Amino acid sequence: MEEVRIGVYVCWCGNNIAKMVDVQDVAMEVETLPNVVIARDYKYMCSDPGQDLIISDIKKHRLNRVVVSACSPRIHELTFRKALEHAGLNPYMFEMANIREHVSWVHNDREEATRKAKSLVAAAINRVCWHESLEKRSVEINPATLIIGGGISGITAALEIADAGKQVYLVEKSAQLGGFASKMCLTSPFMYSTTQMIRAKINKVMNNPNIQVLLNTQIEELSGYLGNFTTTVSEDGRDLELKFGNIIVTIGLKAFDPSVIENYKYGILPDVVTSLEFEGMLKAGKIETRDGRIPRHVAVIHCVGSRNATYHDYCSRLCCKNALKYANMVRAAIPGANIFEMYADMRAMGNGCEELYSVTSKKNVMFLMFDQHNGLPEIRKAGPKDNCDMIIELDEKLSGERIEVPADLVILMVAIEAHEEAKRLAQVTGVSMCGNQFFIERHPKLDPVATTTDGVYVAGSCQAPKDIPDSVAQARAAAARVLCTISKGNVEVEVTTAEVNEDRCCGCQTCISVCPYTAITFDEEKSVSVVNEVLCKGCGTCGSTCPTGAIRAQHFTDLQILSQIDGLLEKSMELKEV
Amino acid sequence: MATRVDPTFFKSLEKFGVKDWKDCYHCGNCTANCPLTEEDTLFPRKTIRQAQMGLKDKLISNTDLWMCYFCGDCTKTCPREANPCEIMRSIRRYQTSVYDWTGLSKKLYTSAAWEIAVIVGIGIIILALFGLFLPPSAELWSNPARFINAQGGVMINNLVDGISGSKFLYIIHYGDWVMALIAGGLLISNIFRMFYLTLWRDTSVRIPLTAYVTEFWRLVYHFLTQPKLRKCDDKSYWLGHITLMTGYTIMFILIVALLPVFQTEEIVPWYNWQRILGYYATFGILVFLIPVIVGRFRKRQCKLKHTHPTDWHFIIMLGLTALSGIAVHIFRLSGMPLETYFSYVIHLAILVPMILIEVPFTKWSHLAYRPFAIYIKALKRAAGRREEAPIPQFA
Ligand SMILES: Cc1cc2nc3c(=O)[nH]c(=O)nc-3n(C[C@H](O)[C@H](O)[C@H](O)COP(=O)(O)OP(=O)(O)OC[C@H]3O[C@@H](n4cnc5c(N)ncnc54)[C@H](O)[C@@H]3O)c2cc1C
Ligand code: SF4
Ligand code: SF4
Ligand code: SF4
Ligand code: SF4
Ligand code: SF4
Repeated sequence: MEEVRIGVYVCWCGNNIAKMVDVQDVAMEVETLPNVVIARDYKYMCSDPGQDLIISDIKKHRLNRVVVSACSPRIHELTFRKALEHAGLNPYMFEMANIREHVSWVHNDREEATRKAKSLVAAAINRVCWHESLEKRSVEINPATLIIGGGISGITAALEIADAGKQVYLVEKSAQLGGFASKMCLTSPFMYSTTQMIRAKINKVMNNPNIQVLLNTQIEELSGYLGNFTTTVSEDGRDLELKFGNIIVTIGLKAFDPSVIENYKYGILPDVVTSLEFEGMLKAGKIETRDGRIPRHVAVIHCVGSRNATYHDYCSRLCCKNALKYANMVRAAIPGANIFEMYADMRAMGNGCEELYSVTSKKNVMFLMFDQHNGLPEIRKAGPKDNCDMIIELDEKLSGERIEVPADLVILMVAIEAHEEAKRLAQVTGVSMCGNQFFIERHPKLDPVATTTDGVYVAGSCQAPKDIPDSVAQARAAAARVLCTISKGNVEVEVTTAEVNEDRCCGCQTCISVCPYTAITFDEEKSVSVVNEVLCKGCGTCGSTCPTGAIRAQHFTDLQILSQIDGLLEKSMELKEV
Repeated sequence: MATRVDPTFFKSLEKFGVKDWKDCYHCGNCTANCPLTEEDTLFPRKTIRQAQMGLKDKLISNTDLWMCYFCGDCTKTCPREANPCEIMRSIRRYQTSVYDWTGLSKKLYTSAAWEIAVIVGIGIIILALFGLFLPPSAELWSNPARFINAQGGVMINNLVDGISGSKFLYIIHYGDWVMALIAGGLLISNIFRMFYLTLWRDTSVRIPLTAYVTEFWRLVYHFLTQPKLRKCDDKSYWLGHITLMTGYTIMFILIVALLPVFQTEEIVPWYNWQRILGYYATFGILVFLIPVIVGRFRKRQCKLKHTHPTDWHFIIMLGLTALSGIAVHIFRLSGMPLETYFSYVIHLAILVPMILIEVPFTKWSHLAYRPFAIYIKALKRAAGRREEAPIPQFA
């Protein structure tokens, strides 16, 4: 093995680190450790002069390992790896010790903090001795894209990608495109006609030569990985093999079935309808009771199945503004009607919604608040003297009174649920789901369209309850991400993957059952497990469960980690031979 | 028992001035900001709620409305610009009309034509009574000096032929009594109705008889000193209001009880107590009126932005009463008998309708309703029952 020559750089982070850690003392002390050629402290290591310092030292002192003791590697590991690359070193010959988040920000005894910083730096020095050069790998991207679900999200993404000249396979389970958006009349809060919006889009999709629409089709199985997926679908009775590089899942939502809530007597009283059924009435152009009368009292009940521990804890986000939309439409259609909105909290959020709320409250709509925890409103058939069809009784929260509300038509603002297909598709595509069966994005703030499976993106209301603008925005974002990978032609994949030592593998397949990314397959012939390096994320789970120690996670080898621990415990800092 | 909401009730309220009743979305800023709310007396938000929901009975039996002194602090912070202080005032007008069993109050509040007609009608009756029974002496034109006394002032009780000084005085004095009896009698009957609607109608509340005695001091104390109003941000408002109230009350007492010592034949020196009281009453009324008139024109203060027709009638009548009173005084002091007679008659033709209309039916009734509401509230508390449901606790 070549001689190990380490450069150590202790960062002040302005005053962030230096105020609590004696950085000069740390640098001076670690300089005495074996293999350390040079140790320095500097005000801002991440700055250009800081990086230049490393680069010139590598050249001047023939360094072949670098340790930077600074902030979290999450922030600057890549910065420093790049610096190493500039100087002609393999970027993995680098280790970072976090003495800001782990030391200066969380301690208040300068002496102790300095001591802790020294051990962390010593640990990093010990570890870096065992680092190996790893080579970057990349895979080619098939420029076609599969979109599962032909609602507004799927349609939008398909058009975006097809307009950029790339092939799209748009798979829709039902017999037509459009999803829920085509079942609505006008959209809140700006009252655009959905027919106009969605019809034009569907026509564009149908006439776009780059989009192959597959109706009445489902994806049963999927193989491959980022850049090179394959699936087989049946079209007109014959099998069709599709090859594509990326997938966007847009299978949308499902409306909650309110018949499980006894108070609302849905399915028992004929004029208690769901918001979806009411959209049907609006589309048909008449608001009337089941027996064809014009309702004199219309009540809208919010949060049906949402924000309630028994059904769904979450807020469905759409129903408040939709309920306001209904109030306006009923007022326009039946000017003399009494309109009641029974809400738990008014959460009409988004552009134009607060304004819609203000406008609606001036239209003689009675807003009544109920408390989900103190019992839901209760609907009953009215008596002969009541002069209405139904009576809704509730504890009105803002007045503190128990009240009765007359109603001829009740609209239940049903919750938005994950699609019933979500679970199956999650398995097929390897996307994770939250407890409510909505798909989970890779990062809730910083990576809202990618998933934990490379090459698979989500958009629209299958990821969380979303309105049309949000669904469209996410769909376009997903399309943009896909187009990026396509235009690059290939993508770099994780290099810190696991590898199986075939001689040691006993074929127990424990690793296959634990891998969260389904990256391991079994080679029947050799009777050993094989890691797919494109799918592997280097999480290390298999390595720690393998009973024979056959799996080695690169960059997280036992030797590297044990030496790091040794360093931390200020044990022997001698370089051990393998 | 659940109460049925009434979405059409607002229509009956709108006539009393509530314009923005739908805007409130119950954030509660107003209640938090109101210096007069108490744990069991939460307004204006809650009162607005009862109005919005059309809970008529709750609203009628609600005495909280009278705890509000219309300082306007709440309106300043309302994010929806719902103008809560104006809503409170409008609902007070509504309540005044409900307390009044004759139905006249509602007519006067909801129809400006009615109000003007009644004012003018009573004014004409007064003028006619003077014309028929107390006409001016012809010598007022031919020999005005006959009516001047030793100090050079007008002998005000001798301006009518054949009716000697004290006789004229007592005719007016008893006339005032008749007016006070009518106004007071109606007001008292309305107060009884207020008691019935807010307290006695609910038979579940049993008020201990002793409480009527032990809590009585509140009525007097709050009437005289208006301690609640002093809690409002703008202290000058309290000062203005109390000056007006005392000025008005003194004027009332001077006219009704003390006319024989007030309206004397000889002119007493200015430092005499009758004259000082008279000056104070005039001053009290003007001190309040001038800023209100300016404010209503400027519309800068939020509480003075909306003016109901009855507000102007009130201001005009009160202003004219004061001005005509001042005119009588000046003409009298400067020895101008003819002018004194006519200004005196006009003064009464304004004052009498003002008192007959405003004391039992409209604006001035609050002088009684407000302290009585405080008294009623105290009685309810004494009955050991909180009028409001306990404040909801958020889990
Ligand atoms: C009653 C109601 C009223 C609404 N009103 C408004 C409004 O006024 N304004 C507004 O902005 N939003 C409104 N929304 C929300 C709006 O409908 C959604 O934001 C929008 O439909 C989301 O589009 P999507 O494409 O993500 O999902 P969807 O519209 O649900 O489309 C999903 C598509 O995927 C298909 N699919 C499902 N599973 C599979 C599978 N396994 N394989 C293939 N295809 C599959 C479905 O058949 C469907 O066509 C309303 C929603 C409801 C329920
Ligand atoms: S490397 Fe990290 S610790 Fe150092 S200056 Fe940059 S951000 Fe701060
Ligand atoms: S959007 Fe409104 S109605 Fe829908 S769940 Fe949320 S709070 Fe309830
Ligand atoms: S767990 Fe280890 S021994 Fe078992 S199959 Fe996987 S690699 Fe082989
Ligand atoms: S009146 Fe205004 S401040 Fe008061 S609760 Fe209503 S919206 Fe809020
Ligand atoms: S006007 Fe003044 S006293 Fe009346 S409710 Fe508003 S803040 Fe309270």
